Amino acid sequence: MINRRNFLTTVALGTASAAFLSACGGQASPGKTGTAEDPITINYTWWGNDDRAERTRKAIALFESKNADIKVNGNFTDFAGYWQKRATEAAGGGLPDVMQFDLSYLRDYGQRNQLLDLGTVDIDTSALEPSLLPSGQIRGKTFGIPTSTNAFAVYYDPDKLAPLGIVEPDGSWTYDEFNSFITEVGSKSDSALYGSTDYTGVWWMFNIWLRQNNIEAFTDDGKLGFTKDDLTTWWQKTESLRGTPALIPEERVTQLAPKSPFGSNATATEVTWDNFMAGYIGDSGAKNLKLVPVPSDDPDNLGLFLKPSMLMVASAKTQAKDASARFIDFMVNDPEVGQIFKTSRGVPASKTQRDGTTFEGTDKIVVDYETSIADYLKDAPEPPIVGFGTLETSFKRISGDLNYKKLDINGAVDTFFKEAEDVIKQNA
Amino acid sequence: MTTTVTPPQARPDMPSQEYNPQAESVLAKRIKSTIFHVVTLVLVAIVLYPALWMVASSFKPNSEIGGTNTSLWSSNFSMDNFVTAMDGIGGVSTMTFFTNSLILAVGAVVGTIVSASISAYAFARIKFPGRGLFFGMMIATLLLPFHVVIIPQYIIFQQLGLVDTYIPLLIGKFLAADAFFVFLMVQFMRNLPAELDEAARIDGAGHVRIFRSIMLPLMKPALISTSIFSFIWSWNDFLGPLLYLNTPDKYPLPLALRLFVDQTQSSDYGAMIAMSVLALLPVLIFFLVFQRYIVEGVSTQGLKG
Repeated sequence: MINRRNFLTTVALGTASAAFLSACGGQASPGKTGTAEDPITINYTWWGNDDRAERTRKAIALFESKNADIKVNGNFTDFAGYWQKRATEAAGGGLPDVMQFDLSYLRDYGQRNQLLDLGTVDIDTSALEPSLLPSGQIRGKTFGIPTSTNAFAVYYDPDKLAPLGIVEPDGSWTYDEFNSFITEVGSKSDSALYGSTDYTGVWWMFNIWLRQNNIEAFTDDGKLGFTKDDLTTWWQKTESLRGTPALIPEERVTQLAPKSPFGSNATATEVTWDNFMAGYIGDSGAKNLKLVPVPSDDPDNLGLFLKPSMLMVASAKTQAKDASARFIDFMVNDPEVGQIFKTSRGVPASKTQRDGTTFEGTDKIVVDYETSIADYLKDAPEPPIVGFGTLETSFKRISGDLNYKKLDINGAVDTFFKEAEDVIKQNA
Repeated sequence: MTTTVTPPQARPDMPSQEYNPQAESVLAKRIKSTIFHVVTLVLVAIVLYPALWMVASSFKPNSEIGGTNTSLWSSNFSMDNFVTAMDGIGGVSTMTFFTNSLILAVGAVVGTIVSASISAYAFARIKFPGRGLFFGMMIATLLLPFHVVIIPQYIIFQQLGLVDTYIPLLIGKFLAADAFFVFLMVQFMRNLPAELDEAARIDGAGHVRIFRSIMLPLMKPALISTSIFSFIWSWNDFLGPLLYLNTPDKYPLPLALRLFVDQTQSSDYGAMIAMSVLALLPVLIFFLVFQRYIVEGVSTQGLKG
């Protein structure tokens, strides 16, 4: 390693870089603080579209007006670019002070000591569901505070069911009932509308089914918690429906991309996260979409849980621990922030924030759905293993091959286990 | 006088049905030419379809783009997408993104032209010790994938405190780090007759004079094709600005474009496509103005791109 200070003093640079350097200099303590006259600057970064950029800008302005001693520099990119940039910054030691984070990357950055243990700073988590907190914790350290939650659901469009004379589902259904529902859609619409996407290809749906059967997807030491037999049973669930109008063929799904089959009005239902609502409405132009719980063969155990749709984290190297903590606390708990974001980040995780927000229209449908399943919710799973993203992609691809009939179920199960074991070995 | 038309001479001794090789060959030529044009037009239509699709989609509402909608026509054509696109993102106006892209692109063009032509002159015309070695090393950098150097480069610029400025994006252009262009110009210069330099040298010109008065004017085609390529590459560059720029006010267009499509939220394909159309215009104009030089510039050096 080059000694940063020496290196820099040797290379004579302008004042800008000098200022940057002093901000980067090295003592670890409660962190620097600012005053109203000389505010400390923290960098905050998030992913999202223009809508989120606008809302976040308002939230930052509000924070700065309440905390004159802190100035927040916001910057944003799209989701894919966001992680490329973070990976480079992490390697170069330049992660921003505060970051919006996704659950699937939390373990990776947490285990590499890139993130600050938020248990060591002052952030109020009393208003958050206790069942939600483990999802931001790794080996007893709190790396992320959930800002908002989402839950898994079945979407359907009542305006598509009515002309076919199909009764709207009430959401208490077994897998057989769900299968016959989507078969009915496919046959009554004369194949103009498919019943659903092949839900056995959705990793989280499989995860929920495992939970319904009291099986953990991953063991504590990061191995697969289910067996080949479990996965075989799962993929057999829709075996008789593949190739019928009940399930949209994989080929068609590819043609419709980047839009989802449901967003393209090609299917009547879709299983996914409840915060996709606004996206579906925008993509499909539908007037009203409804949400019901996922099927379960055990009516008392729906396997559902609240997942943090995003978390707030701080960089382990931040020089402004206190200011960063105050900003995270504000973004998570402040009722006015809830009023700014509504459900665009997901349903606010903090009760203080949720209670301070008025939900209308589609926002209300999502919030009502999460309220309706409150009794069935179990602890959120821990942050997924490192390499989970690769695993999820493999799962989707292999079940796609199953749908294409390139693989039979045994072949698909073997392929997945082989790929999964490779991923786990690589990241162990 | 052209008003009187002489009717074709009737030739009773020659029956009109008779075989006339000349007439048929004209007809055959016509048919062949028609077929050729029809086939070419069909091919052009196929090649241009994506562009046409983009232009048509930029006027459609979001729900009618992609998915099950396959028709180009829509009864809901409107300018809404362009209005959204010009509105800007998160308080930064779209004009800012355009200006930033333009600064970067013009900077890249100027830097590349100046630095690459000077280095090329050295490689092509000056015999200095280790020339072969240095030339080889320069070519070797062409073979180095960009992704290999991302992190070391980032660390250097980060430690120098130059992140979030345009310097990391432009400094390489001014230091002839684009080996491709240097190589292109070296090849071009090697084809220029050495007698010209020699004549100038006899007249007392030094390297500076030879470079400025003899080489530069003769290299026009190479300079223009270099400008076009470096303009377009810089205009379309996504990864560089993504890694080095933090403040949204400094973002160029490619970063802004992505912000309309967010898989985790709602995607405004309409606005993104409208902005793509707008973003394409400068490149298209730049290309149209200079296009005849591209072929000239590339073909004269025997470089097949």
